[in-house]
Amino acid sequence: MISVRGLTKRYGPTLALDKLSFEVRPGVVTGFLGPNGAGKSTALRIILGLHHPTAGEALIRGRPYARMRRPMHEVGAVLDADAAHPGRTAAQHLVCLARSNGIGRGRVAAVLEQVGLAEVAHRRVGGFSLGMRQRLGIAAALLGDPAVVLLDEPANGLDAAGIRWIRSTLRSLAAQGRTVLLSSHLMGEMALTADHLLVIGRGRLIADASPAQLRARAERDVLVRSPRPAELARLLTSLGASVTPDGAGALVAAGVDAAAIGDAAAAAAIPLHGLTPRGATLEEVYLEMTGDAAGYRALPEEAARR
Amino acid sequence: MTATDTTTTDTVGSAIPSPSRARVFRDAVAAEWLKLRTVRTTYALLACAGAATLVGLTVLALAVQEFDHATAAERADVEAADPTVAVMPLVAFFVGSIGAMVFTSEFGTGSIGPGLLAVPRRRLLLAAKATVAAAAGALAGLLFALLSFACAVLLVGNRPAPLNPWPAWTDAIPMVAGATVVVTTTSAVALGLGAVLRSTAATLVALGALVLVVPMFAHALPAALHLRLASILIPNLAPQLAGGDHPYLLSPAGAAVAAAVWVLVALGGATVALDRRDAT
Repeated sequence: MISVRGLTKRYGPTLALDKLSFEVRPGVVTGFLGPNGAGKSTALRIILGLHHPTAGEALIRGRPYARMRRPMHEVGAVLDADAAHPGRTAAQHLVCLARSNGIGRGRVAAVLEQVGLAEVAHRRVGGFSLGMRQRLGIAAALLGDPAVVLLDEPANGLDAAGIRWIRSTLRSLAAQGRTVLLSSHLMGEMALTADHLLVIGRGRLIADASPAQLRARAERDVLVRSPRPAELARLLTSLGASVTPDGAGALVAAGVDAAAIGDAAAAAAIPLHGLTPRGATLEEVYLEMTGDAAGYRALPEEAARR
Repeated sequence: MTATDTTTTDTVGSAIPSPSRARVFRDAVAAEWLKLRTVRTTYALLACAGAATLVGLTVLALAVQEFDHATAAERADVEAADPTVAVMPLVAFFVGSIGAMVFTSEFGTGSIGPGLLAVPRRRLLLAAKATVAAAAGALAGLLFALLSFACAVLLVGNRPAPLNPWPAWTDAIPMVAGATVVVTTTSAVALGLGAVLRSTAATLVALGALVLVVPMFAHALPAALHLRLASILIPNLAPQLAGGDHPYLLSPAGAAVAAAVWVLVALGGATVALDRRDAT
């Protein structure tokens, strides 16, 4: 369980986090989403005691991370794939970390096996690909068999196989009852991995919901085809819907659901040739939500050319 | 979360060890020692210190040779064949660089992140790193001091003063001890500099200035001022710690206090820097 309460972080004039509060539950994969610069990494760094908050607190299982004596037994974290000394071998990197928390060498061999790096255990990290370094970071996080796992953009720069591996690893960690929090700026990836989503923008919490709840929030409309469109449009307008022709002979009705349209058409004896409820994708919902909150955005191509 | 609401009660969240503070510190020191031993830079810097020792001893050998060919009047003017001057400052710089790298290599490679995640109590981490830097400084300092003073004693043989600074070889023993303390101090101070400056380049420049350049430029000061400044500079503490014949102002106890103050100031600065600033 991770609880973040009123977390505020100021870097000079920049407000990176603005009274951010949320809780992360065990047993599910929680996605921490936001555009670049939204404050995800800052929040994770504060949760892990690497940065000091300007105000507020972040507790893991009721305690600040920085007070833990043997934190690797409780929390595993991957913040940056490039965080191992390039001159050490994978095994040396892990043994150094393990030693500091009283973890034996047998466990080092086990996690190297678990993440698929056993064969390159004695090669220098400097020669590793990004995917191998990500795996090494996850191996380090798993050393102490922690109940809480945090990862910052673990899928960044990975190929399809690597992303699938991370996804299945995180899902199985959550299935074992662990608390799993991972950050990403890509909704597409999160939609496949996370059971619960925290969306932030400009340092504020925008949404704390499941992917299904987020989808339900999307503005829906219904595409209706009828050989008598003019009559149907009048009927739907009388139901309170806003109706627009889609330009291809069909009508787009918003503000009324498909079932109501079907019932009303039947009652008025207007034949329907098509009735399609349309929902926004999770990606569209996310972009809409964070559109105002994105810190830095490129101009649309046309605007930029002007 | 408790162990009972999970599906794998035997592993997840169960039996978190709660070790004593001493145990946690011991493990942190052991981990830092491992880190030091598993990077090539450590060995490269030790090799540099070895090379500096060889070069310094060669200079001493040439001085001895020149002494043998000098007239009696010239002999009265030669400098003492003392490794404190010819060998140890460079050794202190290279071994001190190992101490500096204990922090700067982690800031430079980003491995300070995992380091702090593993040992999040910053003062404990600093204490562990300082212990390791000082231990490495003491061991390497003792090794190179013993080596260079033994070689110097052999090179000088039974030649007289002023070339021979020691009436008997046993007189070199306090000098070895003084030199070892100076290398240890340099290493601990370099660690503190590294924690404050974070950059390897900046730290090594500052360290070089402190132990090599400033002592040289101190000579340019007026005599009274020079002695006061020179007496508290780290490399010049070696003869003062050993007692015996030297131009400086401090007693061995005073020199020991000066060394302790250097370490306390450097580690105090490091404590403030680590406590106040965000990591990475």
